[in-house]
Amino acid sequence: MEQTVKPRLFRINTGSCNGCDVEFVATAFVPKFHLDQLGVELVDRIEDANILVITGPMTARSQAFFEEAVSKVKPPYVVVGVGTCSVTTGIFRDSYAIYGPLDKYIDVDVNVAGCPPRPQAIAEAIAQGVKILQSKLLDQPMPTKLETIFTDFEAPESYRGRISLDAQKCTACRTCETVCPSGAIKITKTLEGYEHTIWHNTCCFCGNCSYYCPTGAIFTTNDFHTIQRQEEKYTDTHVALIPFHECEDCGKNFIPATEALIHRSYPKEEVPEMLTKSCPECRKRTTFERCYR
Amino acid sequence: MSERVTIGPFHPELEESVYFKLSANDDKVVTHVDLINGFIHRGMESLVTQKNFMQNLILTERVCSLCSNNHPFAYALAVEKIAGVKVPRRAEALRVVADEVKRAASNLFNLAMLAHLIHHHDLMKETMETRELMQDLKEIIWGNRMDMSANTLTGVKYDLDDEKIDLILKTLETFTPKLASLTEQYEHDEKVVARTVGIGVLPKADALRLGVTGPVARGSGINNDVRVKAPYALYDELKPKVTLRDAGDVHARAMCRLGDITEAVRMIKEVVKNLPEGEIALAKRPHIPAGEATVRVEAPRGELIYYLKTDGTQKPVRMRWKVPTYTNWEALKVMILGSKVSDVTLILNSIDPCISCTER
Repeated sequence: MEQTVKPRLFRINTGSCNGCDVEFVATAFVPKFHLDQLGVELVDRIEDANILVITGPMTARSQAFFEEAVSKVKPPYVVVGVGTCSVTTGIFRDSYAIYGPLDKYIDVDVNVAGCPPRPQAIAEAIAQGVKILQSKLLDQPMPTKLETIFTDFEAPESYRGRISLDAQKCTACRTCETVCPSGAIKITKTLEGYEHTIWHNTCCFCGNCSYYCPTGAIFTTNDFHTIQRQEEKYTDTHVALIPFHECEDCGKNFIPATEALIHRSYPKEEVPEMLTKSCPECRKRTTFERCYR
Repeated sequence: MSERVTIGPFHPELEESVYFKLSANDDKVVTHVDLINGFIHRGMESLVTQKNFMQNLILTERVCSLCSNNHPFAYALAVEKIAGVKVPRRAEALRVVADEVKRAASNLFNLAMLAHLIHHHDLMKETMETRELMQDLKEIIWGNRMDMSANTLTGVKYDLDDEKIDLILKTLETFTPKLASLTEQYEHDEKVVARTVGIGVLPKADALRLGVTGPVARGSGINNDVRVKAPYALYDELKPKVTLRDAGDVHARAMCRLGDITEAVRMIKEVVKNLPEGEIALAKRPHIPAGEATVRVEAPRGELIYYLKTDGTQKPVRMRWKVPTYTNWEALKVMILGSKVSDVTLILNSIDPCISCTER
């Protein structure tokens, strides 16, 4: 990459569980993550830095010290928020001791969600930070879309990355919403059906939703590209509609059991047709009438 | 003349935020230590009472990413104790595998930081690269390099097939000679010996008085490893051999950690080669009645105690944990007094502090 300025990096931990910090050390000192290609220097004093890598959800205790420390940095500089905590405070959001997220206290340029992000993602985020720093120095317009710089990184099939949903299999049973520890999933009722929303920047990539999902509708993909500009932070969601069906008997809206769920209940037997066609009320009535005919 | 030195809270040599106020005399020897904490306090004891038992499996994992398997492990043991369920044997074996892989990776990270702090760059790189073997293994089998999410109530979330067992054994085959080379270097390398032997000494009497645990205790000749004293899961049969040293200095603690890794490798091999058949978790989710339970496990840093109180609802009434660093931290005052200012971060690193566990 063409360079006009030497990137000098300083890391601040604002109360993280140290996962991101450990992974940052791995990124910085293990050659396979290519950070050396960027010519980044790790500086001892925050005054010398022009790239700040910040982890953690900003605890009450850290906040004043943090503001004092960053006031010493001379512009132009770039702020890279590493980990879900720094982006949205993630799993710690509801705590009394959390004053974050980070963007309340400093202008963030690049975010990388993950719990913790892979070193590959951290390296990519820092590379984007270096690029933005150069644009700032040369007074160039900021990039509106981030092009991947390190294209040769791969993730194993089993890597727990970005969550996805197969709306065909989902029955809107709210199991994922209940077990999600960071409140990244919300299911709301609308006129057309149930709207299933996943906030990728709040997700802590634990895989609880896919583990407990009875139909395998929600699942983790191995996509680890969670590097984003600050502007994209609140819009990175996955929204799916689980539509209502009209009951063939009474005409009311209902959510039929999906094929995946029926298959679980009737592994061998023939599936009663009315399961997908009638609403629970009508099925109850039909069964009752059949018993007393 | 005394000089006042402050270190932190944001310092490149500190993994986590702590704040030291030291007084030093003309020879740069520390005469007074003031430790200021609270930077990582996230109010987790309050948070766990707001979340249900399934959510807490993950929240306890986020207490600390370096011992991130021990927290949900201890939490699951506590819930199982209250529910009165017996975990399948295969699940217990798989819990040991996850725990020992994590222990090896955690200890290697601490050793890498030691090499970093004494400016032995080659050794640090070598340690980090050896650790990468474990990290890659974690990523392939559990799906994340730090937070494995291996435990669930009444069992584990993952299973090992022949292919994965093969991968583990192959990885350990590459890992073992590298570990031997590292052990040799940490034991005898001139640079390491010069900077760590006789530094930050914790005499046995002080270690007993302060109740230190884990490698800090073993470095001072005290064996209080929970896996030996009060075995849980399969440790009763595996009989871990712990490394004991008498010197009580930074070097002794490092060597105890290396010994732990060697043992971890042996135990992982033994378990995966004779993996018991059966379920990985009970089919039915347990009913959690009102009750109280206390359990203890051995984290990479020492003894971890969990206390859980339930009232029959889906959320804990109270959960509290005593972490190894809580007692080891007090020992720092003994270790740092009389040391050079330039050794302070090295001594701090030698207790393998987990501040996010302690302040939570």
